Amino acid sequence: MRTGDYKQSYGELVALVDSPPVWLWSAVLLLALIAAPYLLNSYAVSFLMIILITVTGALGLNILTGYTGLISLGHVGFLVTGAYAYAVLVSKYHMPPLVGFLGAGVVPALASLIVGAPSLRLKGLYLAITTLAFSFIINTVILEMRWLTNGARGIQVQRPEILGINFDSDAAFTYLCLAFASLTLFATLNIRRSRVGRAFVAIRDNDTAARVMGINLHAYKLFAFVTSAFITGIAGALYGIYLSFVSVEGFPFLLSIEALAILIVGGLGSALGAVLGTILIVLLPEATRLVFSLFSAHMDATFTTGAQELKSMLYGLVIILFLRFQPRGLVGAWHDIKRTWVHWPLRY
Amino acid sequence: MQYLIQLLISGLAIGAIYGLIAMGFAVIYKSTGLVNFAQGEMTMITAYIAWTISTTVSGNVFVVAIGAILAAVLLGLVIERLVMRPMLGEPVFATVMVTIGLAVILRSAINFIWDAYPHGLDISMGRGIVHLGGIGVRTGQIAVIVTLLALLAAIWAFFRYSKVGVAMRAVAADDRTALLMGISATRVHALAWAASSVIAGIGGVFFALSYDLSPAMFQLGLKAFPATILGGLDAVLGSGLGGLLIGITENLAGGYLGSGMKEVAGFAMIIVVLMVRPFGIFGERDIERV
Repeated sequence: MRTGDYKQSYGELVALVDSPPVWLWSAVLLLALIAAPYLLNSYAVSFLMIILITVTGALGLNILTGYTGLISLGHVGFLVTGAYAYAVLVSKYHMPPLVGFLGAGVVPALASLIVGAPSLRLKGLYLAITTLAFSFIINTVILEMRWLTNGARGIQVQRPEILGINFDSDAAFTYLCLAFASLTLFATLNIRRSRVGRAFVAIRDNDTAARVMGINLHAYKLFAFVTSAFITGIAGALYGIYLSFVSVEGFPFLLSIEALAILIVGGLGSALGAVLGTILIVLLPEATRLVFSLFSAHMDATFTTGAQELKSMLYGLVIILFLRFQPRGLVGAWHDIKRTWVHWPLRY
Repeated sequence: MQYLIQLLISGLAIGAIYGLIAMGFAVIYKSTGLVNFAQGEMTMITAYIAWTISTTVSGNVFVVAIGAILAAVLLGLVIERLVMRPMLGEPVFATVMVTIGLAVILRSAINFIWDAYPHGLDISMGRGIVHLGGIGVRTGQIAVIVTLLALLAAIWAFFRYSKVGVAMRAVAADDRTALLMGISATRVHALAWAASSVIAGIGGVFFALSYDLSPAMFQLGLKAFPATILGGLDAVLGSGLGGLLIGITENLAGGYLGSGMKEVAGFAMIIVVLMVRPFGIFGERDIERV
């Protein structure tokens, strides 16, 4: 009798899913998400859109920080570059939206080469601070290049029309986000199980050992930066379209922190973790508001006056509590539950 | 020429504030191996407490100074005991992320407790103007530069000669061996957090004296990053001097190249410096044994 999740061949180790039922449940989830825009009210659909866009961005950061172990505090820089690349190409030069999305990926990817170059010599905290510096520099560059970016005034962005399909309605735009999010998830999972993904993880675990085993550190670190920035840039373009207005203020530094919080809460280095973390972090303020309003109307009033402050305090608290009590994140908790379920009443 | 000297002096003054906060970073890094991302927020809380004392208790300089220092010590100790000590022994990444979470909490708490409007810290000092060879300098600016230099000397002596200072260096160099030698690492960490909170808090109060208190003050912490990176994360004195260097660079860039450049001059500078010396100007090269 099977008593656990044992891998018996190398093929199983790199398989995309653990077992056939996973395919079934994924298909059910996909169908549910397709039906969702028609079943939910518009308030809930806006949360769905935000979750799908954030998942895309979080998966982008996960490649760099989760897989390769390079901490980036400046990912909002790639997000804003992607959003501006799309806005400038589509709204200003009236290119087709597909070209816009391509630009939203390529421009941050090129920018990431500039940030990635110092990373070849820097480690850990020094690198984190370099990426932080980059995100501030990119904001200034955008504000100073007024002829291209309208400076502080920002750029208006319309919902796109791709290949004759109009994505103007909320439901249609949700499908667009869903398409990008599932493509990204699929791509990330495949990167992780390929030679490249194994090289990333080797670099994260011990870069000297990885180098000794013949992994080209420079090439793979830069590759991680470029891939991560490409995905994040596309998430930025989607977020810009969602906001329908791209400006430097729309992408505050807090987003970088939020992205890291998502990865930590979900479980660092796991695509599933990025998804779970996103759902928790995006819905957290809303859930708290509900709980507060249950207790009393008075608490509800406090919450609306100090809403922003309480929301960010919660972020901070959740990050700290997860790091303290569940360092492996929601994915770790999920694995523990699965193990308990299989082995109960035995402990092992 | 007068313009240049004016820029240099105000650059030195703001640089001294960066230097103080950067020393706060370095003191914590040197004894615990962490970068405290909540440094800017801790600085800000001390400054806000100083303002509250000056408006509610007394505007006397000594009362405000002693109150602010005590508050900063308490803040450092409480944070170390409640937030950082449980993380002892966890990976550096996790612990640094905790300080980021802490920064977010403190920043919102400040907006929650105090309001979002700017306040001037008025203790009838620091805003007077002294003329030095035809150039007007605020007394607050002179005071902060003198304070930075005095603290630099004091800290150098502390790490060089005092028993506690040597213990802190020992914990920084190798905490396990230090533990075996009978040094209490937790006590050293607590001391480092308190000291860092006070040093950075002094910087914050001086900032509030010369400029204003506002919810955007936490950015001082971000501005002081380049200073401590430039000097080297593990070099306390280097960080102080790095602050002066960043302040001057920023002011010269702002004065001659435009205000947009002023915001990022420091960051641009560290990227260049890190390309050449990845461990800062005064930092120790990290040799990795395999």
